Amino acid sequence: MLRKIWEHRADYAYVLPAIAVMLVVIAYPIYYTIELSFFNTPPGLQLRDKTFIGFNNYTAILTSAVFWKVTWNTLIWTVGSTVISFVLGFAAALALHRDFFGRGVLRAILIIPWVISAVAASYIWKWIYHSDFGIIGAVLVGLGLADRPPNFIDSVSTVLPSLIVVNIWREFPFAMIMMMAGLQTVPEQLLRAAKVDGANAWQRFWHVTFPHLSNVSTVTILLLAVANFNSFIIPWIMTGGGPSNASHIWITHIYELAFGRQRWGVASAYSVLLFIILMTLGYFYVRALSGNDRKDGGA
Amino acid sequence: MTRFTLGGAVLRGTVSTALIASLMSAPALAAPPVDLSKWSPEYVRSIAGTQEFDTAADCAKVTPLDYKGRLTFWYQGVFEGDPDLLRQYYKDFFETFRKTYPNIQLEEQALTYNDLLDKFRTALLGNAAPMAVRLQILGGTEFASKGYLQPLKPEDVGYSTDDFWPGAMKAVTWDGVTYGIPTNNETMAFIWNADIFKRAGLDPDKAPATWDDVVKYSKQIHDKLGIAGYGLVARKNAGNTPYRFMPQLWAYGGGVFDEAKANPTYQQIELDSPQSKAALQASYDMYVRDKSVPVSALTNQQADNQPLFLAGQLGMMISHPSDYNVMLDLQKKATGTDKDKAQTVIDNMRYGLIPTGPDGKRAVVFGGSNIHILKPEYVEGGKVDEPAAKAIICMWTSPEWSLKMAYAGSNPGNLNGFKTKWMKERLDKIKFLDVTTSMLPYGIPFPALPQSPEIMNIIIPDMLQNALTGAMTVDQAADDAAKKVKDLMGGL
Repeated sequence: MLRKIWEHRADYAYVLPAIAVMLVVIAYPIYYTIELSFFNTPPGLQLRDKTFIGFNNYTAILTSAVFWKVTWNTLIWTVGSTVISFVLGFAAALALHRDFFGRGVLRAILIIPWVISAVAASYIWKWIYHSDFGIIGAVLVGLGLADRPPNFIDSVSTVLPSLIVVNIWREFPFAMIMMMAGLQTVPEQLLRAAKVDGANAWQRFWHVTFPHLSNVSTVTILLLAVANFNSFIIPWIMTGGGPSNASHIWITHIYELAFGRQRWGVASAYSVLLFIILMTLGYFYVRALSGNDRKDGGA
Repeated sequence: MTRFTLGGAVLRGTVSTALIASLMSAPALAAPPVDLSKWSPEYVRSIAGTQEFDTAADCAKVTPLDYKGRLTFWYQGVFEGDPDLLRQYYKDFFETFRKTYPNIQLEEQALTYNDLLDKFRTALLGNAAPMAVRLQILGGTEFASKGYLQPLKPEDVGYSTDDFWPGAMKAVTWDGVTYGIPTNNETMAFIWNADIFKRAGLDPDKAPATWDDVVKYSKQIHDKLGIAGYGLVARKNAGNTPYRFMPQLWAYGGGVFDEAKANPTYQQIELDSPQSKAALQASYDMYVRDKSVPVSALTNQQADNQPLFLAGQLGMMISHPSDYNVMLDLQKKATGTDKDKAQTVIDNMRYGLIPTGPDGKRAVVFGGSNIHILKPEYVEGGKVDEPAAKAIICMWTSPEWSLKMAYAGSNPGNLNGFKTKWMKERLDKIKFLDVTTSMLPYGIPFPALPQSPEIMNIIIPDMLQNALTGAMTVDQAADDAAKKVKDLMGGL
């Protein structure tokens, strides 16, 4: 093994700076977070005064009602945002794949939500949703469709769906771009051959186009899922996890535990659990990419 | 009521050390909440403009004006809810400091009230804090108790402790040692729109006498005019929420602990007392039963209520005298008929004392900010330029600048600020200043405990949100909050 390393010393030398940087900015924080998750860090003391408590933070998390509430919120948020963003993005990609007048302009317009700053978008949507003076409420009241503005983000039952809508609005262009790129790879001659064989539009889509997009779809869905698990800006800026924790997802809850309440140990334990989930998703992502490579190699 | 025992806390672990230390600070706890009985509007008028101060000369005695150094400084600065007048004074201050101390390289950073604590805590963990910091009044004890701050008292920058409000000094004292100097201290007042009151069939020139009246008036305004009556604020992690709910809580006879009493011990948790529940019930009645307050109260802060008030869509609220100037600023930015509507609201603005509870108790948060110097080991580079830090602290807490930096919305931390010519000018310029001065004797400081920021910024708003959203009943929300405070004090 040492001989092999020596033989490839130049290769190792090339990647060494990158490995060194990764060790400092990725590996060490991961190690420190895992270490901290086994300590009690009372808010009234400095971090250096922490005390070792083994798995108590994990036990406390898994037996707390808040954990299950936040986990449920996170699942709804992630699955809802990912699935609907993907479906909408895919539909938009299919619509824009055909040539028609104004396609370029429409494509540019649809990409706007994705390129706009998430912070700015959150503030704008906060006002759009405003429970007293939001534009949606004003229009509904103005048209006589409601007596008073609907309560979007100040109600425990509507806040999460309302935030998911904002997230979908921001994310579906990403899915659209990915799927548009995927559509370019579908062989035209196959579609033409299917048409000659009498396949209708739906059959051509289902039996030719869709199978060719399976890998790009998997990658898109995994990337969206990872991004949504890690979402912070929209829920934090629009509601701060409220009202009454109804829009707290893992990341916002971890942030509040760490920076608002200084429970560094518990927040670290949460982060480790989240890390495990994301690594699992990452594994499937890499597998999907490897599958792509194998297919490309075999083609 | 929930009682937590000191012995239990000791058994729970190391946090109890902090609690014991807090209880050992007997001299601070023995002081009355705020001894402000002589500070009537008449007294303030009688002393305004009676003394001249030379800030540069005073500060030269602390740090020579030709001192060469470098200072990193974070401060809670102006934000969207502050008037332009205050923005200008902040700008003037830093310009003047640079002129007065041309050889001090100042690297200042302004942060909003809601962001400062989070960012400062994070910086401390990485030993990357600034050399000096101006924090909200809640922050002093938290960071002093953890050992991040250097001892610092008014005498260190040429002033006397007697020149500062006793309640404010308590907020910078931990275990008998002073760790900071108050820059400004404030008490808010009650604002209402006389035109809305009149149209709703209420006496336009009379503030609601009690909190029960606020509930009634709010409903009457909403029922008759279809607009929000009272500007309730219940956002989490926003300073505005405790500043508006605590006066209500104290007026009903409740509290987090016994902080509203003359000699608080902070041993008895009162959040689940019948009085505290009555205060929470009043908010519940306005938000849920009567729907007479902004629905957006759970995500809003005071800066969101200001435009509502100016648009004539909100009848009354608790706020600073600076809101009059904020309204003037907003009115200047309005166009067309909105400008006239805004002017009508400004003409109809009235200020009064914050209402009392059923037993005649009147209370307001004795708020403000403090300035501190960090210990070198927590500062980026491991060095603190003390003379430079003392130079800026001397200037900010001087009679001149402690008054100017609090010109529109607060009171100077240094009581000599009231004697300056700028105070005289301010009395003529800032409408309704008398009312907030009249509230000074009712000022109650937040509990001087390291746990106060979490209690005020998270537990209290959570309690409100749990009750107002129906996630819990009023009783459950109050009991839940009391338990959280108990756990927090026990180190959990």
